[in-house]
Amino acid sequence: MKRLLPLLLIIILGVLTALPWIAGPTLVQFAINALMLATLAQGWNIIGGFAGYASFGNSIFFGLGSYGVAIAMVQWNLPFGVGLVIGVVFSVLFALAMGVPVLRLRGHYFAIATLALSQVMSAIFSNLDIAGRNIGLVLPLLRSDTLFYELSLGLLVIATLTVFWLSRSRFGFGLIAIRENEDAAQSMGVNTTRYKVLAFTLAGIFSSLAGGIHAYWITFIDPNSAFDLSLNVKMIIMAVFGGPGSVLGPVIGAALLSAISELLSSTLSSVASLFFGVVIVIAVILMPKGLTDCWLRFPVTGWRYFIHNIRQHRL
Amino acid sequence: MSNVLLQLNNWYAGYGDVDVLNNLHFTVKEGEIVALVGSNGAGKTTLLRSLSRTLKGRGDITFAGRSLYDETPEKVFESGLVQVPEGRLLFDQMSVHENLLMGAYRRQGKAAIDASLERVYGLFPKLYERRQQRSGSMSGGEQQMCAMGRALMANPKLLLVDEMSLGLAPVIVDQLLEILSTIRNEGITVLLVEQDIYAALEIADRGYVMVTGAITQSGSADELRNDPHIREAYLGL
Repeated sequence: MKRLLPLLLIIILGVLTALPWIAGPTLVQFAINALMLATLAQGWNIIGGFAGYASFGNSIFFGLGSYGVAIAMVQWNLPFGVGLVIGVVFSVLFALAMGVPVLRLRGHYFAIATLALSQVMSAIFSNLDIAGRNIGLVLPLLRSDTLFYELSLGLLVIATLTVFWLSRSRFGFGLIAIRENEDAAQSMGVNTTRYKVLAFTLAGIFSSLAGGIHAYWITFIDPNSAFDLSLNVKMIIMAVFGGPGSVLGPVIGAALLSAISELLSSTLSSVASLFFGVVIVIAVILMPKGLTDCWLRFPVTGWRYFIHNIRQHRL
Repeated sequence: MSNVLLQLNNWYAGYGDVDVLNNLHFTVKEGEIVALVGSNGAGKTTLLRSLSRTLKGRGDITFAGRSLYDETPEKVFESGLVQVPEGRLLFDQMSVHENLLMGAYRRQGKAAIDASLERVYGLFPKLYERRQQRSGSMSGGEQQMCAMGRALMANPKLLLVDEMSLGLAPVIVDQLLEILSTIRNEGITVLLVEQDIYAALEIADRGYVMVTGAITQSGSADELRNDPHIREAYLGL
């Protein structure tokens, strides 16, 4: 199994790369969305899964990336690539400036502070002339789902490889130590502030790139859609569902939940979100450590795996 | 034996405008076990935070011949001043082995780290038996061993052991004290910060008694143990 996994991944990647030429436009459009969510979940995984800081501010980076591309292309007539770079620069600056004070907070306080920040950013961009105020910006149209698909896939692969590197690096080990016990990590010589800010920045870079690609694809952004909190909730759910702190968990979580959500909304549109919610509640109760953990442990412990988890919740 | 390893001179430290430590003088020599004893609120933790440089303070602080005043906590750790923190602060979800590896976090070179691992497992055979166990699921004494082992993995010159005996049975405390003696015989200096004055003075060479931010008495362990004032105030004899 261990030896087969890389081979299996390469085959899956090959099929995914060829997808625009073998599948219809509806499926490709669904896939672009799913790939974007997977990248966001993977970005959240770095700060939320590895360092254990439940960030509600990752949608800020998504928004900054979107506006970076939109402002560059619409207001300054710059190419798309330059827009992506501008978005990343915004995000890195934001992560460094805000990360230092906000990452001093722990647990719920950190979550609430980042939550508030995303509202603040939305309010700021609603008042910027260059960002089109409340109305937003309309980007030039590029009709090439294939291009956006391959870009999104490439970004997800890079994000996942980064997390793979993280999971085997000294830096990643330091982040896990922070998640497990921050005081202990500090007393063992981990520079906790620097590590947390770096993780926040790294998460921000991927979210920002995903936002930039998404903005050009959708061709329209406004403050509400760019700094959308529900997007942040989605990335958390997908990462946690798949397995926070694992390499492939967030990707699998995003793929599965996107598919379930899509199927539900096409078959029973009005109650789809209810079902989606139920799926998540059940998943959290039955496998709180995510799909990856369940996948690894279920063959060993069998059904006791779920019983044990239910007991842990004291239900 | 007589080289000064750690020295605090004219040291003031506190929180906000209030100084908890007032004009403190404090020395630890190489190869010693020094006990720092005092009851709750005496300023022991403030002193330790000054040493690990997580609290700024004012005055002179030198360790192994270098001033630590402007160093970051990471650099202090790297220079060999390593804490076994109060409450142990283990990585509960990690195995014993992973906890020990975390101690070597800032070290390079697999061979040297493996040698340290072997040494720690030699000192604490129990940890070797339980190396794959989740550290949070062990008993208090075993957790304390794990915390000590983890600190040793950092290759310390000076081991700061904070409230080691807290919540442990006297038998276990005796075992741990014995291990500290062994560690000292291997050339590591030990600073033992304790409320349990009796346990601390049992193995220490010298001791300092702290009361409300100042050192009120110091001397050899024997002197302190036989001091009538201390016997009365702390030992209840």
